[in-house]
Amino acid sequence: MSGGTALVLKRLSLGLSILALLVFTAFPFVWMAATAFKPSQELLYWPPRFLPEEATLANVVRLFEQTRFVEYFRNSVSVASATVLLTLALATPGAYSLTRFRFRGRETIAATILFTYMFAPIMIIIPFYVLIRHLGIANTHLALILGYTAFSMPFALWMLRTFFQAIPLDLEEAALTDGAGRWRAVVYVVLPMALPGIIATGIFTFILAWNDYIFVRILITSDELKTLPVGIADLYNSSVIDWGMIMSSAMLVIVPVVTVFSYIQKFLVTSWGSGGVKG
Amino acid sequence: MLRSLSRLRAKALRLSEGAVGILLLLPALALLAGLTLYPVLYGIWLSLHHKHSFFPQQSWAGLENYWFLLEDPEFGESVWRGVVYSVSTIVLQIALGVAAALVLNQRFPGRNLVRGTVLFPYMIPTVVAVILWKWLLNNQFGLINYGLVALGLIDEPINWMGRAYIMASLILISVWQFFPFVVLAVLARLQTMPAELYEAAQVDGAGAFSRFLHITLPQLASVLFVVLLLRTIWMFTKFDTVWLMTQGGGAEKYIRTLPVYAYRRTFHYYEAGVGAAASVVMFLLLVVFAAVYFAMFRRDERL
Repeated sequence: MSGGTALVLKRLSLGLSILALLVFTAFPFVWMAATAFKPSQELLYWPPRFLPEEATLANVVRLFEQTRFVEYFRNSVSVASATVLLTLALATPGAYSLTRFRFRGRETIAATILFTYMFAPIMIIIPFYVLIRHLGIANTHLALILGYTAFSMPFALWMLRTFFQAIPLDLEEAALTDGAGRWRAVVYVVLPMALPGIIATGIFTFILAWNDYIFVRILITSDELKTLPVGIADLYNSSVIDWGMIMSSAMLVIVPVVTVFSYIQKFLVTSWGSGGVKG
Repeated sequence: MLRSLSRLRAKALRLSEGAVGILLLLPALALLAGLTLYPVLYGIWLSLHHKHSFFPQQSWAGLENYWFLLEDPEFGESVWRGVVYSVSTIVLQIALGVAAALVLNQRFPGRNLVRGTVLFPYMIPTVVAVILWKWLLNNQFGLINYGLVALGLIDEPINWMGRAYIMASLILISVWQFFPFVVLAVLARLQTMPAELYEAAQVDGAGAFSRFLHITLPQLASVLFVVLLLRTIWMFTKFDTVWLMTQGGGAEKYIRTLPVYAYRRTFHYYEAGVGAAASVVMFLLLVVFAAVYFAMFRRDERL
């Protein structure tokens, strides 16, 4: 076999592997979108057609008019945003403290935080639920926000800690010795440099809260307080499955995720080690 | 001189501010302690009580809830199913994840877009992953049955949610949803690997497979050590994917794993004490796993 043929074969096998990976990961989404734009009767075609014959928005209209989808969407946005704000408000000073201050037990605390990162929701949800009922905040968005914030806290602290560690101390010290107080140094020197990291951490937190199913399933009983994942699951569990409508709801839920995903993609490979991804 | 003096001053500033440091960390720690660590301890306490899931009364039960678990055949089955589910999804995720990472580490046009696409299933809500695949696997109108019949691989459409295939369907969906985590971890490691390692091997005339076995794999050992640990913890405790698969008919009782058992005991039978005991057992099984795992592999110098 000549060198040229070997190279062609190598290219070909690489191309085929990439194609196989793309089909496996992306095809379910393509089929979702195709289904979402098909009129109901076209879903029953056998053999199935790939593209809709007459693309329609009827499924989305039905979703908006006959279900509480818009309300669920609004709930999801407000719960996820509040979670991001609370998480960043607590984790940013916390992570800054872990990298810039020395106190007894600092490393033990950091290790304990890493340990709690490994917890899965089901390991704490039953006592958490009893506790939330005891506090009298079951069936409120506050319960969800507190649950998500506690749950994102370990990776938020670890991710931000990595970003703060990457900022050279010299810059802060220069500002300090120039007579600026610590808070001015933090606000004008440290925070602007840590901003990409803070945004990335915020996005990971947002996705965690946006995607969660178990906390909502357990803590929320009123239909009008549900967020999207449980809202969609209940839509699916209703007596007759309206696949066109279900697929259009799935498509709309992942729109915000697609939007923020392009921003965090560049952080994904570098930040997986600091725990930004979990599940 | 002046610079080192100022460094000294800044350092002194850092040292003297330990109290401020603790104060800044305190709110985050209080939340973690109150809403994560306390529930874990409270869960152990709860598992020693008879407790209705909704009413406040509780009475001391000692180890009765644990004896109940031992005598309940459903519990043993759920542990076994959980092991089958975890082991098969983890093996497949790691095999597929490493292979995909090796491909995505090559240079080719549009690489970033392809990487993004491959990682994407990991970022979506579980409910979306499950309904997308339930639609593809639908026994009446599903595209997969159509394709398999059209290709002549099967004669009759397969009932993917039936007793014989529901576990396989669940494993397929879980691998699809979670293998990107392995891709991410392995890719991060591959990017830090020195190219000289390969160049030397190529000069020696080593083939692609032998290069992977003798050069790449040993380099990946440390990252795979962590990945295997995390994946085991998260697959063994995976609730939402499994639970959502049990919804909407089918032979759902054949995929009830340990987390589903704990949930059902608490929210269908209202026995919060038994549910908490099942969670504690889940936790203990993972502790035992981690202890054995570390004892087996951590002594290895290369990790």
